Amino acid sequence: MVGRIWLATRMDMHDLRRRPLLLVLLIVTPVVFISRAIALTQRIPRVIGLPGGGTALTTMRDVHGAVMAAITVAFLGGLIGVFTMQAAKQADRRLVLAGFRGIEAVVARLIILFAATSVALVIALLVTAKDFAPQSWLWFAVGTAAIAITYAGIGALAGTLLGRVGATYLLLFLAMLDLGVVQNPMFGNGNPPGWAVILPGYPAIRVVIAAGFSHASRAPSPELLGAAVWAVGLTAIVIWFLSNAMRPAHAT
Amino acid sequence: MHLELKPTGQAARLFVREQLRSPTTLVLLLVLPVVFVTAAAAVLGPFATALGGSASGHAATALGAGWAAAFLAGALGFFQTVSSREADQRLALAGLGAGHTAVARLASAFTLALAVSATAFLALWAHQGMIHPAHIALAILAFASIYLAIGIAVGAVVRDPLAGSLAVVFIFILDVFSGPGMTKSAHGLSMLLSPSRKAAELLLSAGAGQHSSTNNWIAAAISTTVAITVALSVF
Repeated sequence: MVGRIWLATRMDMHDLRRRPLLLVLLIVTPVVFISRAIALTQRIPRVIGLPGGGTALTTMRDVHGAVMAAITVAFLGGLIGVFTMQAAKQADRRLVLAGFRGIEAVVARLIILFAATSVALVIALLVTAKDFAPQSWLWFAVGTAAIAITYAGIGALAGTLLGRVGATYLLLFLAMLDLGVVQNPMFGNGNPPGWAVILPGYPAIRVVIAAGFSHASRAPSPELLGAAVWAVGLTAIVIWFLSNAMRPAHAT
Repeated sequence: MHLELKPTGQAARLFVREQLRSPTTLVLLLVLPVVFVTAAAAVLGPFATALGGSASGHAATALGAGWAAAFLAGALGFFQTVSSREADQRLALAGLGAGHTAVARLASAFTLALAVSATAFLALWAHQGMIHPAHIALAILAFASIYLAIGIAVGAVVRDPLAGSLAVVFIFILDVFSGPGMTKSAHGLSMLLSPSRKAAELLLSAGAGQHSSTNNWIAAAISTTVAITVALSVF
């Protein structure tokens, strides 16, 4: 099984390498978005709420720096999810007809999805590091990665269920509203509203905020657990749903 | 002339129907501007302040309606161009002609952009009322038309749907960060990175209940006309 997943992954990777503009955009987009957002934002003092009830005094520029990496990887991970899975449906069905199991084709495609998302994630963290130093780089990276994986999963599901146009609309507006508006401590009283917990970005962005501005040495456990549940749960749903969708008609 | 327009009109209607095959897409086109205008209303003023811009209150919320219409129209223009290229070439060869096919395709895209603009306009009206409704309606439509053309131009150059949609998002976000009301002053790079600048200036004035100068109207009309001309020529 591992050998066949590896073979399918290599074929998918070959396909990805034939799209140089995509790779350029995966690198250029985080560089431009994050550096420009930080450069334009003023150093206005800002009190933000931390997970667990504390507060931190920082600046609008630092808060924007912390959340912009998350917003960017959510956009990119989600879009890659939409198009990787959408474009793969036909090719992967042929793989299944050729003898691969559905789960093998889907896992190979997920490896490509996470590899491309990781490129954007690493670039986003490197660009952020130029202008912003979180209290804990480890948990900042973990929280941002959880957001990237969560949105990549949402994109993969939305692309399959809604088609690429509907999925693109849904995903970009969801990422913008979830991470850019509702969870963003630049606005309101610096805390997300109570109902924000139902949104997919809530636990992971709280981990990011804690890692960015809290002096505590560990990430907040409930939020960390919630971020893991979203990331792992969505990945499992994607594997289950798409594997079933790959099955030839006579097998279902 | 009437005989020539009839097949073009029929083709345009078919193209609209083709784009709305998925009811989910139609629902999203109508719901998302409402959700965005409502949800972003409270944050756009503080966001502009954080960036050193001057947009606030009703003017900032009006700008949000323009952004919602612009982004949806841009993505619409891109996907329509990418998905229709081969079918349109066959249609043109089958007798409709390249010019008529391009006009029909652009008319269908513009019809959908008009619907998106109308939704954003109504959402804004319901949210905060308006002193200059016609002024705001034209400004939102200018926003949507400019981004429709950007989406079409990107679709003509970039065939990969992921790279193309990323390119539209890229242009849009740069525009948001560089546009009027969101930056300290308009010069150099900011001017270059903000294709919707003139439409945004109209919208900010209208949202604040002020009149726009004749120069602003002329500049916005020129931006929109150039955008539509580019869209027509690349189809």
